[in-house]
Amino acid sequence: MIYLDSGATSFRKPPQVLRAMEQAMKTCASPGRGGYGPAMEAVRQVYGCREEAAALFDCLPEQVALTTSCTHGLNIAIRTLVKPGARVVISGFEHNAVTRPLHALGAKVTVAGRRLFDWEDTVSQFRKALDQGAEAAVFTHVSNVFGYILPIEELAQLCRERKVPFVLDGAQSAGALPISVKQLGADFLAVPGHKGLLGPQGTGLLICRRLPEPLLYGGTGSASRDQEMPQELPDRLEAGTLNVPGYAGLAEGIRFIRRIGPERILAQEHRQLERCVEGLKKKGLRVFSGPHQAATVSFLGEEDCEETAQRLAEKGIAVRAGLHCAPLAHESAGTIETGTVRVSFGHDAHDGQTEGLLRALKGREA
Amino acid sequence: MKNAYYITFRSVTFAQRGERVLREAGVRCTLLRTPRWMEAQGCGYALRLWTADVEEILAALQREQIPMRKVYRQNRDGGMEELIR
Repeated sequence: MIYLDSGATSFRKPPQVLRAMEQAMKTCASPGRGGYGPAMEAVRQVYGCREEAAALFDCLPEQVALTTSCTHGLNIAIRTLVKPGARVVISGFEHNAVTRPLHALGAKVTVAGRRLFDWEDTVSQFRKALDQGAEAAVFTHVSNVFGYILPIEELAQLCRERKVPFVLDGAQSAGALPISVKQLGADFLAVPGHKGLLGPQGTGLLICRRLPEPLLYGGTGSASRDQEMPQELPDRLEAGTLNVPGYAGLAEGIRFIRRIGPERILAQEHRQLERCVEGLKKKGLRVFSGPHQAATVSFLGEEDCEETAQRLAEKGIAVRAGLHCAPLAHESAGTIETGTVRVSFGHDAHDGQTEGLLRALKGREA
Repeated sequence: MKNAYYITFRSVTFAQRGERVLREAGVRCTLLRTPRWMEAQGCGYALRLWTADVEEILAALQREQIPMRKVYRQNRDGGMEELIR
């Protein structure tokens, strides 16, 4: 199978990820609850994951809270910063993981910057929206539909200058683009464990540079007599037994990335993106491409996007069609009625994938 | 003369970062559950170590901004004494 759906999840994980998970299943008990061997092995595995993430995102290990997904982390961050009815600025390319929590809170949302691949528009619209007053900002690093890399340094600076706390959604960038939460001054960074970081599904991380409000309450293995959740990170966010095999696997995924280097992975993905965009355009398809694009591209033919994806699936090619849980991004790009077919490359991007896709697409119809 | 010390932490993660800092400084220490009587709030982790200069150890942990709860010295008779800091 030609797998081109890394925007959803990375598919072929490095073998060491699988080995670490199996080993953890065999050797680890409940972390942070006991002093015997298997319990201590569990805390070592979990801490190993925090250390790897801290090195990748430039923070302290205790600032790395383990979550079940990027969505989980975004919910915590948004509920911490956004009080009901608060004014929030978001980009025009946010996922439902951002917009639905804001909707549930009744936030007054200003959407800033809706032009694809246009940094000038994104920055100027953000500046304008922030100047009108905002209690918080939330923006994605990379659009999950179009691969548009937002100018996060500039947006972060605008927020810092106005003392507006902000959340960065690293769902599509973690592992492929360098991120320093310290340099950005981000209050929170939410990332999935199972996409670019190459860990298993059901894992995620929330990097916290301010004290968050817990979403879950319960046992943490610390200060048990106190009925308030601990003030300390990461315990404050980690009630209940952690997914130790998952984080053992995630630690190996991050080690793999750090050893190769996110820049090298991105370069490999980008080579395929460029070949793919060129090939799709030659076939007369409508291709959404531009400067500041990560390894994701959307396109449209004359037929329904789901039919295209289904036809490709039957030929053994995995892509994703539809609205990609990001109707706002499709509204911004004018594709809300049609959706798009999304091709997203991963850490194992190679010529054969691009060639296979282009061979399978006949022309304006797949 | 070296003595045994217990340094307690509110969170296993802080204890683990302390363990990392000390090991990188060449100080051998053991991560273990905090004895119940040392932790009024119940449940926690501690580092046990032998040193002739506990102040240097504590300064190293403070430099790394690792919050500690309490420090105990084990006396020759086996009894524990809390160090007031």
